[in-house]
Amino acid sequence: MGLSSQEIMHNTIIPFLAPNLKNLFMNLNPYHFDNLEEIRLRCGQPLLLKMGDQEWTVNQRGDLEKDLQAGYMVQEEDIFRTLLSISDNSLYAFEEEIRRGFITIPGGHRVGLAGQVLMERGDVKTIKDFSSLSFRVAREIKDCSLPLLRHIYHHSLPGNTLLISAPRCGKTTILRDLARNISMGNRWGPACSLSVIDERSELAGCYRGRVQMDLGPRTDVLDACPKALGMMMAIRALGPQVIITDEIGRQEDIAALQECINAGVAVITSVHARDVGEAQKRPMLQEVLASGAFRTVITLSRRQGPGTVEEIVRWD
Amino acid sequence: MIWLKTLGVACIIAGFGSYGLMGARSIEKRVEQIKNARLAMGFLEKEITYLQNPLSVALKRTAQLTAQPVQVLFAESSRHLQDRQGITMGEAWEKALQKLRTMSDLKEDDLEILQAVSAQLGSSGIEEQKKFFQLIQEELMIQEEKARSLMESGRKLWSYGGFILGTTVVLLLL
Repeated sequence: MGLSSQEIMHNTIIPFLAPNLKNLFMNLNPYHFDNLEEIRLRCGQPLLLKMGDQEWTVNQRGDLEKDLQAGYMVQEEDIFRTLLSISDNSLYAFEEEIRRGFITIPGGHRVGLAGQVLMERGDVKTIKDFSSLSFRVAREIKDCSLPLLRHIYHHSLPGNTLLISAPRCGKTTILRDLARNISMGNRWGPACSLSVIDERSELAGCYRGRVQMDLGPRTDVLDACPKALGMMMAIRALGPQVIITDEIGRQEDIAALQECINAGVAVITSVHARDVGEAQKRPMLQEVLASGAFRTVITLSRRQGPGTVEEIVRWD
Repeated sequence: MIWLKTLGVACIIAGFGSYGLMGARSIEKRVEQIKNARLAMGFLEKEITYLQNPLSVALKRTAQLTAQPVQVLFAESSRHLQDRQGITMGEAWEKALQKLRTMSDLKEDDLEILQAVSAQLGSSGIEEQKKFFQLIQEELMIQEEKARSLMESGRKLWSYGGFILGTTVVLLLL
């Protein structure tokens, strides 16, 4: 296991909150942090904590509360001070992140941003007058991918693998652990050099260029790089045996994926869908699944908590 | 008795003279400090607009290259930001400026220019920060020119004025 939930909260999330919110969280029973997945701050609305499938708020005494009206109402000042804190008072250094709608903070936690979006020539120029922030707590669950490894390896090398799941079912956590295990080597095969294309800074949780998660000793990370471009850059420059990337779906992603497979580089990736049937309904994925490019397809759900393996299909 | 009178005269003239020399030195130091603040702003601009370092780092690095007492402004505000006590850049800068006020020879006009920094620093994109730094540096340059021209006349006035005043007091007493 990596850091405990309490350590994650006290070391990497609470220090970034506005003083009022910081006090509330310091009074909260640390036991509650174990299931905490998201913290949502919306201007003029109650503070919301997402724990599993349930939503709670926190009252002034620092207790969890189901009645939202009894919860702490988030003020504009709380949003402003929290935003300044996560950006280290340096909005200029996070222009690109703000354009993409999120800032990654140390620990790899992603803070989603909402406010007034300014456009320029059809692209997002920036966001201003921030109205809500959403902290998504990133957790490293080491060795959570161990049961999957034997299905992924073929003749001591990782094969092309697709993880299918709906959002919040643990895809990213499993991909991250797969990267670490493949990079370190494991009982199913020797260590491999690996490139992670982390378009949304979730897998490696890079903060100002530094990888925050343990992805193993043979892993190169292309942070905030578009997947299709990153896959080609990795093949040309980094010479990986395996490429891991998250949430493919665009036409150019599929084309780059085919390129990687033709170049003899194994690709492990994920896609949003509830099951194989639903994934096959998406025209671009239909083609790639029919071509047999992926030797292993793993379907995940939250039925018994995030990361529940529902189905493993393997074409040998 | 005469030796006592001579000693008294010497003390009065030396006292007023020293005060005058200190005043002259203060005028010289003010010019130097405005210049240091301007150069530091130039360095901070590069840290922010070119290297895009976060403010706590940019201010710390600027402090390392800036002479005392102006260094205090950058070092203190960086320290306040690094403490992560939910303090904003504006608040950190204000606190550091209060400390600089007690340590420096800068006048209220000079400090007002530096105070304007608190509302703008770090709170916008790169292009806006560039424009802002150019403006602040220009204002500091104008202020430096004004202080330098005052220094030329003021330095002589304070240096000689102290001794002349001391002598006048002695003559009146005699």
